[in-house]
Amino acid sequence: MNRSENRWLWLLLGLLAVFSLSLFLIPAFVIRPFRHQSERALGLAIAVKRIAPALTVAALVGVVALGARLWRNSSRWVRTGIATALVLSAASAVMVRQNYFEWMFNPITAAGFVSADDAHLDDKEMVMAVRIGQEARAYPIVQMAYHHILNDRVADVPIVVTY
Amino acid sequence: MWKRTARGRELHFYLAGINNQNFLMRDRETGSWWQQVTGRAIAGELAGSALELMPNDELTFGLWKSEASQGHGQGQRRFLVLAPVPGHGDKDYDKKWEEEVAKYPVPLTFPGQGLNDRDVILGVAMGGQARAFPLARVRGASPVEDKIAGVPVVLVTGPDGESVRVFRSQWNGLDIELYRDTQSGRQSDGKGDGQSPEWQLLDSQGNTWNFAGCATSGPALGQCLGRINFLKDYWFDWKNYNPQTTVYSH
Repeated sequence: MNRSENRWLWLLLGLLAVFSLSLFLIPAFVIRPFRHQSERALGLAIAVKRIAPALTVAALVGVVALGARLWRNSSRWVRTGIATALVLSAASAVMVRQNYFEWMFNPITAAGFVSADDAHLDDKEMVMAVRIGQEARAYPIVQMAYHHILNDRVADVPIVVTY
Repeated sequence: MWKRTARGRELHFYLAGINNQNFLMRDRETGSWWQQVTGRAIAGELAGSALELMPNDELTFGLWKSEASQGHGQGQRRFLVLAPVPGHGDKDYDKKWEEEVAKYPVPLTFPGQGLNDRDVILGVAMGGQARAFPLARVRGASPVEDKIAGVPVVLVTGPDGESVRVFRSQWNGLDIELYRDTQSGRQSDGKGDGQSPEWQLLDSQGNTWNFAGCATSGPALGQCLGRINFLKDYWFDWKNYNPQTTVYSH
């Protein structure tokens, strides 16, 4: 392996790591709170999110293969670079599989219900209310404003409560 | 609030992102992306599908409780309240979150129609038209009557002074005019414990109506006005999704 070939391989390794990282960072940047998102930017972010799980794994495999090939003849500095690329690509592959919005707002996995008399709510507290057939449900807004989503079933009708 | 079925499939949703201060959700079954505020799928296998709106109310707990337990064979009814999820307390269930959210910057701004970005409005969309009713004005002047796309509507603040409902002010094919019964005194009894029995609206036909929109006396006794769905929202958000909206100003 000659030096110029190595240079191309290093470049490719670096690009793969940057590519992998951008698969995580681009949607994370677009879909961030308190910023306007145009329809186009949102469309791009979602498109990237959909392909990111597969592509970050492919990029990680590429980084590992190139890193292994370059490792033996590399100086300590270059090895540090290879290790950094490897860590970033692996982190990216993990992060694109995480739903960090649910870290901030934990989902309701098993909803519990109490009767109206057993609910320790102030009469002034606002609730979202739904009635289907013989069943009535109230969802306190302070709870829904945190969890945001609840998949429920009322009188056998599947509904999603959103706030 | 939506029915969670699309193309004949039952779906389970989860939080997947934040979009202009609404949120994005995905369904576990297909991974499609949905906008919470419109109920529409914007990407994925179900793109283009729309969820069916589930009519619902925002009420004070006291009013909900008294309405839920009133009349109509209550023994068979089941009324349940979502319990706090274990592991989450006052830190997450922050009663002041609305005040706190109001301090955050807005992602969009729509000046020029007399409203501030974070003014709370009640948005009604029907017959291809959209109108925003500033909540403060509705509370101050209930019942508020208007016409949207030729349909007479009335926005009513309930006996608790907080809860609002919107009805089609038509009965028996006639437009009716509703007004507050000044004989029944102030609409709130100060305790806010829900439906005070004396709270009622009158109309030009000699009926009295309760906050459920049902006639409690008069020729319409036992009949109810049609309910109209509305969205309680910040002005900037309503305007973003209803660019042609007008603002109520009477």
